[in-house]
Amino acid sequence: MWVALAIVGAALVVALGVVLFVRRRQLRDAFKLDIGNAVPTAAGGSDTSTETGFHRRLVGLQVFSGTIIGVLIARLWSMQLVASDDYARQAESNRTRTVTTSAPRGRILDRNGIELVTNRPCLAVSAAPEVVDDEVEMQLLANLIGMPYLAVRRKIQNQNEGAQSKRTVAVDVSRRVVAYIDEHPYLFDGVAVEERTERLYPNGSLAAHVLGYTGTISQEELEWSEDPRNTEGIKYSAGDIVGQAGVEYQYESVLQGIRGEQVVYVDAYGSVLASSASIEPQSGSDVVLTIDSKVQRQAEESLARVINDIRAAGNKECNAGCAVAMDVTNGEIIALASAPTYNPSVFTGGISYDDWERLSSESSASPLMNRVVSGLYPSASTIKPLGALAALDYNIATPETSFYCSGYWTGFGDDFGQYCWDHYGHGGMNLQTGITYSCDVVFYEIGKGFYVSDTPEGLQATYRAWGLGSETGVDLPSEEAGRVPDAEWKWNYWDTEPDDVRQWQGGDSTNLSIGQGDILVTPLQMCCVYAGLATRGTMWRPHVLKSVRSSTGSGTVIEHSPEITRSVSEDSSAFDLVQRGLEGVIYEESAAQAEHFTNMSETVAGKTGTAERAGREPTGWFIAFVPSDQPKYAIASLVEQGGYGSSSAMYVVRDIMGAIYNEPDTSEAVDETGAR
Amino acid sequence: MPASDLTSSPAQRPLGGAKGQGEAQVQRRSHTTLGDLFYLPQLIPALLLITFGAVVMWSASLNIQAADFKRHMIGIVLGLVIMWFVRAYDYRAFANMSTALFVFDCLLMVLPRIPGLGLSENGITGWVRVPLLRISFQPSEVSKIVTIFLISSLGAQYNGRIETLRDYVKLCAILCVPFLLILVQPDLGTGLIVLVVGASIIIVSGARPSWVWVTIGMIVAVAALAIVTSMTPGLPHVLKDYQLNRLIVFVDPSVDPGGSGYNLQQAKIAVGSGGLFGKGIGNASQSGTGFLPEAQTDFVFALLSEEFGFVGSAGVLLLFGWMIFSTITLAQRMEQPFAKLVLAGIATMWSFQVLQEAGMCIGIMPITGIPLPFISYGSTSMVIHCTAVGIVQSVWHHRTKAA
Repeated sequence: MWVALAIVGAALVVALGVVLFVRRRQLRDAFKLDIGNAVPTAAGGSDTSTETGFHRRLVGLQVFSGTIIGVLIARLWSMQLVASDDYARQAESNRTRTVTTSAPRGRILDRNGIELVTNRPCLAVSAAPEVVDDEVEMQLLANLIGMPYLAVRRKIQNQNEGAQSKRTVAVDVSRRVVAYIDEHPYLFDGVAVEERTERLYPNGSLAAHVLGYTGTISQEELEWSEDPRNTEGIKYSAGDIVGQAGVEYQYESVLQGIRGEQVVYVDAYGSVLASSASIEPQSGSDVVLTIDSKVQRQAEESLARVINDIRAAGNKECNAGCAVAMDVTNGEIIALASAPTYNPSVFTGGISYDDWERLSSESSASPLMNRVVSGLYPSASTIKPLGALAALDYNIATPETSFYCSGYWTGFGDDFGQYCWDHYGHGGMNLQTGITYSCDVVFYEIGKGFYVSDTPEGLQATYRAWGLGSETGVDLPSEEAGRVPDAEWKWNYWDTEPDDVRQWQGGDSTNLSIGQGDILVTPLQMCCVYAGLATRGTMWRPHVLKSVRSSTGSGTVIEHSPEITRSVSEDSSAFDLVQRGLEGVIYEESAAQAEHFTNMSETVAGKTGTAERAGREPTGWFIAFVPSDQPKYAIASLVEQGGYGSSSAMYVVRDIMGAIYNEPDTSEAVDETGAR
Repeated sequence: MPASDLTSSPAQRPLGGAKGQGEAQVQRRSHTTLGDLFYLPQLIPALLLITFGAVVMWSASLNIQAADFKRHMIGIVLGLVIMWFVRAYDYRAFANMSTALFVFDCLLMVLPRIPGLGLSENGITGWVRVPLLRISFQPSEVSKIVTIFLISSLGAQYNGRIETLRDYVKLCAILCVPFLLILVQPDLGTGLIVLVVGASIIIVSGARPSWVWVTIGMIVAVAALAIVTSMTPGLPHVLKDYQLNRLIVFVDPSVDPGGSGYNLQQAKIAVGSGGLFGKGIGNASQSGTGFLPEAQTDFVFALLSEEFGFVGSAGVLLLFGWMIFSTITLAQRMEQPFAKLVLAGIATMWSFQVLQEAGMCIGIMPITGIPLPFISYGSTSMVIHCTAVGIVQSVWHHRTKAA
């Protein structure tokens, strides 16, 4: 553009120069004429001046014409010789179109090679957004496919796949429909039949929260993929199917194939004149997960059954929960369940508005939410082992320190008395039995001990050392970090309140030590803590990816290498104490609870927890590792508003162990003591 | 008033003039050359352009259905025949016929409006179907030649200097009549050619520069006013929307790439992608496959630039330059003001049409629907420009030979 302006400008200058030149000659001639009047010259008279006038003006005309030709040639020079490459590129992009064929996404397999997600080819009828204006065409389409007219209309109006992209009207249409549409293009303007591969879930909703789901690429993702700063990402185009949650999202770059491309030559009306060599589509790589289908299925079924039983028993508030099982020796997650769940297949071919509303609403308990990594809950008593370790580390207590629980604790004076969950009192206690019986008084004393010590935040430091308050780094999206409250946090959090409310109080420390109040953790964080307790301080990064397998060619396998994220060092005597305390929970705290584990060949160590919230049913926790003498698995479960941990989440954990060791729970015993 | 004081005897007796020419030929038969019979510096480039135009149109006919090579050739033959007859006819006969020319000019413009004769195409009522014969033509094209004669015959009577403002205004007013009549067809493109050609003749006739500058200033003011009122809702829209869009797009082609800007953009891509030697005959991916509409008429320069590259496009422009220069050179050599003015008018017509047609293809002029002389598809245009060549040759043919 600037070149053009420069040339036009130069031409104007030339033209102006010519005009001035002619004018000057005119002036000079006029001047000469005056002199001519004064000085007699040989050539005089009006004839000559007329002739010179014509001559001058015709020269002017010549200059005019010459300038035109000159300007045109100069401009052609700049366009055809200087900027020619640029225009040639534009001409080339005019006459070529790139036709793409989508590549199948990689499959997702469990650790034993069982297909969790695969693909199937299907024929889909799609329509351009403008088709909605043509009632006749929509009616024809409806008759042909055998759908109600209104359904066709709604499908075409649906913008979920993007405002500009084609809308899927029907998938899995018959060959007859395809043939009819192909043979009558004039009847079906804007309608196209596409060969697609669609996500197929052979096991239905199994592991839905691990797998996630796919959908049409969003505008933001599309813009980011085209952003020059995004150097490593895949270049997407509108309408591409991408992972939007779970492993589908996390390992999008692995699962996504490379689409095939063919350059065709077209005329201005889009008719293909010729085509050039094509690149075959290359399907995405398969992802092998650490998930074990059998354990996963058991976890989901057990979770659903426990919730159902609780509801059947009259507690209608209970409608959600989750469970996770992890290999403590390498961080592999072998099962991850969240309830309520959903079937990822509702997302294939674009989810309907109604389905989306149902899946994302609060009233249906957010089925899309993966509670293991995104759910935030008070840890309740499951945190007590960490309190005991902190007390030993900071010399707040020794293994020999004795406590007395009368059921009501007045360590901060009579006005600030607090109950143990067992109002009758546990009597004489020490650290180990404090864990086993989950005695609150023991931990009130520890909380107070920290509050009055010169290391008032030692408890928080220990919690954080075990990974609370920070993400575990699991390879799943939307992980929450949780919260370990301290004085600074409280002061800032209540910044509109008076100073005495914002101040850290002794009660905050005692709440923290029994895992109630402001502390928030994810079930996965707690599972990792128990995995760390099981391995005596070595914490692996939890992960669901086992390996990546190229689906074409050599089938090369890239193994995921486990990684230690934290090493917590404690005296082995401290670990011994905690482990004995946790074994006590299983075999001593409650006879009914013990009955569920004595029928197993492996020994178990674990902890119940019951997160209280005023005016609601408590949320029950149960976390265990097994075998307790040579730990292999840590398993955590939580049932929202499902009552005590010993009568809700415990069953789920036991069922998962049953699936791992092929030793189903045969006990029907129900804990009546309210062990927490 | 026709310039009766300037009468020359041949103009009164055209046949006598022809006879005189015949005598001259007899006298000089012994060493008559081709250069004596024809004004070659003008004829050669014109014939080369026609030939090149035929090649371009043949290549266009390979891809563009609307470009009928046979019809183009018929137009060329018709044009050459008419050129031959016009050359023989003494142009000086028109020097005294200004009243008749004026009436004829006006009549031409009214023709398309007569029911049964008129034809409309692309919203322009500019076509006339000749009854009985199955041919139609554009009177506005004919009007260009008629106007050249009309203004020249009037301008010649001042013998090189228009003394009074009254005379100048009268000339301008007469020029305005055909211009306005074409404008209401509406055919702004041809109207502008008539205006520029007429103005050029008036200037060469000896109008004082100060008057000309004032006139140009007034035209610019009126044009600006027309544009502003057309853009303002509520005021009368003098320019049609498409004309306004072309102007807007000319200023910024990216405003509406799907509409008027699209054509300009595609034309520039066609020209630019031609490179030095072009893509070759029949290989115009832009003009040949529909990206550039009207590639055989309005955008023919883009077509030839794409197929023949800079060599072809610059070559065509140089041929035009050669032809125009020769025509003006001849005007210099002629003694009679009428001959000078007619030649100046014809030279201006070619210059301006080349500027307009080629200029719009490369984005330095707004888009108007006018043809490139000798090359664009369309017989009326071909015949008219051949007629113009014939007139130049007639001037040469009827020149006063040096003793």
